[in-house]
Amino acid sequence: MRRTRYWTGVLVAMALVASACDGGTTEATDAPTTGDQGAATTAAPGDTAAEEPGDAITIEFWHAMADDLGQVVEDLVDQYNESQDEVFVNATFQGSYDDTYNALLAAFEAGTAPNITQNFDLAAQTMFDTGRLVPAYTLMEEGEADEFLPAVREYYSDEDGMVAMAFNSSTPIVYYNVDMFEAAGLEPPPGDWDFSTFLEYCEALEASGVEFCVTFGTVGWYFEQILANSGGLYFNNNNGRTDRATEVQFNEGQGVEVFEFLTGLIADGHAPNLGNTWTDTDSVFFAEEAAMIFDSTAGARGFQDNAGFPVSTAFIPHSDSSERNGVVIGGAALWLIDSGDNEINRAAWDFMRFMASTDPQVQWHTGTGYFPVRADLQESPPAELESFWDENPNFRTAMEQLATTRTELDDGSKNYAVLGGRAGPFPEIRRILTETYSAVLDEGMSPQEALDQAAVRANQALADYNAFFEG
Amino acid sequence: MAEVVAERRKHLPVKKDAPPRRRRRHWRAYLYLFPTLVIIGAFVYYPIVESFRLSLNRVAPFGGTEIFVGLDNYTRLLTSAEFWNNVEVSMWFMVGAVPVGIALAVAIALLLSYPVRRLAWAHRMLIFVPVVISSAVAGVLFRWLYNPVVGHINTWLEFFGIQGPQWLTSRTWALFAVTVAVVWRQLGFNVIIALAGLQQIDESYYEAAKVDGAGVWDRIRYITLPLLSPTLFFLVVVNVIISLQAFGEIDILTQGGPGQATENLVYSVFVDAFVGTRLRGFASAQAFLLALMIIAVSFIQFRGFRKRVHYQ
Repeated sequence: MRRTRYWTGVLVAMALVASACDGGTTEATDAPTTGDQGAATTAAPGDTAAEEPGDAITIEFWHAMADDLGQVVEDLVDQYNESQDEVFVNATFQGSYDDTYNALLAAFEAGTAPNITQNFDLAAQTMFDTGRLVPAYTLMEEGEADEFLPAVREYYSDEDGMVAMAFNSSTPIVYYNVDMFEAAGLEPPPGDWDFSTFLEYCEALEASGVEFCVTFGTVGWYFEQILANSGGLYFNNNNGRTDRATEVQFNEGQGVEVFEFLTGLIADGHAPNLGNTWTDTDSVFFAEEAAMIFDSTAGARGFQDNAGFPVSTAFIPHSDSSERNGVVIGGAALWLIDSGDNEINRAAWDFMRFMASTDPQVQWHTGTGYFPVRADLQESPPAELESFWDENPNFRTAMEQLATTRTELDDGSKNYAVLGGRAGPFPEIRRILTETYSAVLDEGMSPQEALDQAAVRANQALADYNAFFEG
Repeated sequence: MAEVVAERRKHLPVKKDAPPRRRRRHWRAYLYLFPTLVIIGAFVYYPIVESFRLSLNRVAPFGGTEIFVGLDNYTRLLTSAEFWNNVEVSMWFMVGAVPVGIALAVAIALLLSYPVRRLAWAHRMLIFVPVVISSAVAGVLFRWLYNPVVGHINTWLEFFGIQGPQWLTSRTWALFAVTVAVVWRQLGFNVIIALAGLQQIDESYYEAAKVDGAGVWDRIRYITLPLLSPTLFFLVVVNVIISLQAFGEIDILTQGGPGQATENLVYSVFVDAFVGTRLRGFASAQAFLLALMIIAVSFIQFRGFRKRVHYQ
């Protein structure tokens, strides 16, 4: 008797351990989803399980939108699930873009990949190279791609057409403290301003007693965007868009001018050196220590609501030796992972098409501040959108900055500068560039020397990546 | 031992009908160990083996493709300025954090162990609180303190007429600033351990010393510290490992910057393996070199300390 009880104890303990183990591995590889097999028959977790999926095709959708943004995603998914009964979308929040991509890589190996995943702009080439995608153009109808804004359409396209669907798109913009501008007797900045004009504003602001003219984090994004606005290329082979990028070009021409401008703002005391940050800059701007801030259009609502002073917006500047070109559409896109089953792929695409349709896009834009991706919403916006923009004029500047972006040059060829760079190791190279600020600000290198040094490391990264495709 | 047992067993008569008790007990021992072995095997040994295999390959960030490169990852690391910078940062971190952290902890423990005994629980709680705070929260707090424009430290310095430095964005100060944050969070743990060590020391030593006319400093020097040495040894070992593995504060405060001024090996492994462009093979090679480094440092510690530790 004692023995039996004893063995029962051992078995229970082992069962507990085994189940704990199982939970652990599931989380590591498959993340907290019910997986391919479970979701079709059982109710999905969370509040998306409003109804039983029944015979519907279940689509696993991984996203990286936290908090309020995630709530808007969940709402849209619920609307889709309620609107029809053939496809049931199970949305799962996976953490940051990096977490989501790590989970995706693990899921490829475990054979539990989702049908749709969200991944950010710089990962585009890596996503292409997974070889697991169903390009959107293979599922689109004739002319469907024209529904998208040109900048949005082109960013995620390869030579055959649109591969992924832009989902949450944002661009950089200049926010400014209207009170400080008025106190300095300054007009709102012109839509098209070069570095010299920008610095004139700085002189005037600082003369009026403002501590810092502007504040920005030394993240790679502003360099990329101001370079694009100045018509400069980041990578060779037309920014890596006509062939794989083999070398960076940011250490030539416009790149040097742009980097001189950005490091100069800090070195000359026009901007505080806050390092690689997205948040400390906000504190400085809100504390009225700086008159302007470079930030994302997605933050427009936050700036408007949290500042104790009126906030207005302006386009980002460009170099003196260039014309204004515009901005690169950033953010993230939805990628369709090939399930091997055409019917399932089509079901997933049906959901993506829903997300890109008019009503969800209006909700998405007004709820989050990310751009609507449809061209018609910009050309003939519905009344709802017009009144939203009247209440939130900063979104209008953001839309205009994108709408006036020159995606084509005068001779009709593509303006690769504003289509954005594309390369496998782009995230790594962005990091190298972030580190390069310090070479100028701390080690006293010239911007040219610092960029040359960064270029050597970046080119090595490109060569290593391209080696996967040799032979 | 095992050989001796096996040797003796040879001479025992073997009964075929009844299995030997000993063997059965072994079998049971393995059964009890089985769950542990499965877990350790899956989460420790397998990753070690797999990570070594990866360190000999270049692994594509898009998955599914590997190029065998032999020791190329290692030779590249050993010849790269970035890697040696990361090693240097790790070492400075250790050199900065461990002695200061332990000295502070012992000093505070000494103060806590003598006066105001009735308030000791309140002191201990106050001192221990930082340990319970996660490194992420601590990092955010320090970010606020260190902010050069709106942060508390520089505001106060300005009050006294001192122009505070750029704590987190100048090469001179960043590593120092991050070290302070790590020492602060680790302090409570060190104090509690040091305090426990102090309380182990028998009062009679002090009484005898007092009778012999030894002052406070002499008592600390010749009684407290020698008898505290096992505790100190423990603290050194633990703190060295913690400082070599510092991560949370670095991630929140500087992300390894400015440049790579605060990028230690652990942070570099993390970035290469899990962020942006994933270089899993390269990261694995770094992880292996880091492990070798920790083993070497631990070995030196055990060698160096063995003779200086007094057990009561």
